[in-house]
Amino acid sequence: MATVVGNGGGSPNRPNGGGRATVPNRRGVTGPELATPPLVVRRREEEETVVTFPSLVFREFLAAMGITGFLMLVSTWVNAPLLQRANTAITPNPAKAPWYFLGLQELLERFPPVMAGVAFPTFVIVGMILTPYLDKNPSRRPQDRKVAISLMTVYIMLAVAFVVIGVFFRGVAFTWQWDRVLGHPGVNPGT
Amino acid sequence: MRATGAGGPNPLVKFASQLWGSIFRHGLPSTDKVAARTALTNFFLHIHPVRVKKSAIRVSYTLCLGGLSFFLFILLTISGLFLMFYYIPSVDQAYQNIKDLQFVETFGLVTRNLHRWAAHGMVITVWLHMARVFYQGSYKPPREFNWAIGSILLVVTLLLSFSGYLLPWDQLAVWAITVGTNMAKYAPIAGPYTRYVMLGGRTVGQGALIRFYVLHVVALPLIGFILMVIHFWRVRKDGFTGGL
Ligand code: HEM
Repeated sequence: MATVVGNGGGSPNRPNGGGRATVPNRRGVTGPELATPPLVVRRREEEETVVTFPSLVFREFLAAMGITGFLMLVSTWVNAPLLQRANTAITPNPAKAPWYFLGLQELLERFPPVMAGVAFPTFVIVGMILTPYLDKNPSRRPQDRKVAISLMTVYIMLAVAFVVIGVFFRGVAFTWQWDRVLGHPGVNPGT
Repeated sequence: MRATGAGGPNPLVKFASQLWGSIFRHGLPSTDKVAARTALTNFFLHIHPVRVKKSAIRVSYTLCLGGLSFFLFILLTISGLFLMFYYIPSVDQAYQNIKDLQFVETFGLVTRNLHRWAAHGMVITVWLHMARVFYQGSYKPPREFNWAIGSILLVVTLLLSFSGYLLPWDQLAVWAITVGTNMAKYAPIAGPYTRYVMLGGRTVGQGALIRFYVLHVVALPLIGFILMVIHFWRVRKDGFTGGL
């Protein structure tokens, strides 16, 4: 099944999604050239393709059913938390942000607020958006991307570590405590 | 399932067959050509290309993560819609509404649980999706811009989850939002104002609840949805990166 050219009666649907085989995506190729990739120049024997429907759609369906089933199971057994009605007079100790912001809260413990609350997050978000423009290395092979992969891995490990610390090791007044993990009594169930 | 062969004069069968044919232009695909036409003429399928590289749909390649993120978004929209039938964003009623959902309304508990766990799940899948795109270098030209849209989607996902966190109006909610919005305070000059605008006041009260509610059920889902449409469009146009 190699001949896919002309499929779809001249519709703009490109059978092959386009890609590397046609326009070499080199740095410096910008604008219109990128906007009009493969339609014209395409080698006949590209990678093998399959019809989206039903091949891909079926997999998507399976994945959707799988996660629905999983979440239904979890939802039957584990209840979403609900504490006492909000009371601004009583501050729980520790007071914690949602888990995905605990990394930020952890930074706030360790750095001056302007850095932790403003500079770092701005740097991370702007840095993330600009990543493709800063990384000028055209190769996608892991062997050629040692620096990029190392940086990202360090970042992910730090982020995960901070969240884990925030959720499990931060107790009263957000100080370090082993109680939750080791199961000692007397710790205020924060989250 | 067309009523093939049953060409008898039974008007019911004829009507059913006409109805089916008017909705679905093609039967189940018997050949690749029919399959292609099915994908092209079905609204829900036409966001897909007609053919895809075999390597691109290996589960080991996308790990389904982008698709799962989108599916969780749909699941959250549906379960959230049901929650909205019962929830009133008022500091006097919100907490009781949630209690009722848990203990009184039919399926209220499981709907709320589903919404909660799917929300956490979406934060995780979007994160992992970002990681897989990075590790496979799929953000490289010509997909730079789609990565940027994705980055904003990540932020929107976090804000969606964060804004929903306040709505149950229990101790967990109010104090998590207090801590969270306190972080905004530290920005030089703009900080305190930013926090004031977010909360509609100096503390987390009715002003904050209605703001977070409107953001959570209208503004952020709308922004997220529009960005997703652009995101998917670009995935189509730029093509799938494919295996390494
Ligand atoms: C609400 C959040 C998001 C949704 C629903 C979403 C959905 C998708 C889907 C369905 C795909 C097709 C491939 C796949 O399933 O992996 C995709 C591809 C892609 N996504 Fe996302 N995405 C989201 C967030 C992000 C984020 C946070 C980033 C990066 C910062 C990102 C960057 C990309 C890129 C560059 C592609 C093209 C990958 C390729 O061609 O191999 N997306 N996205």
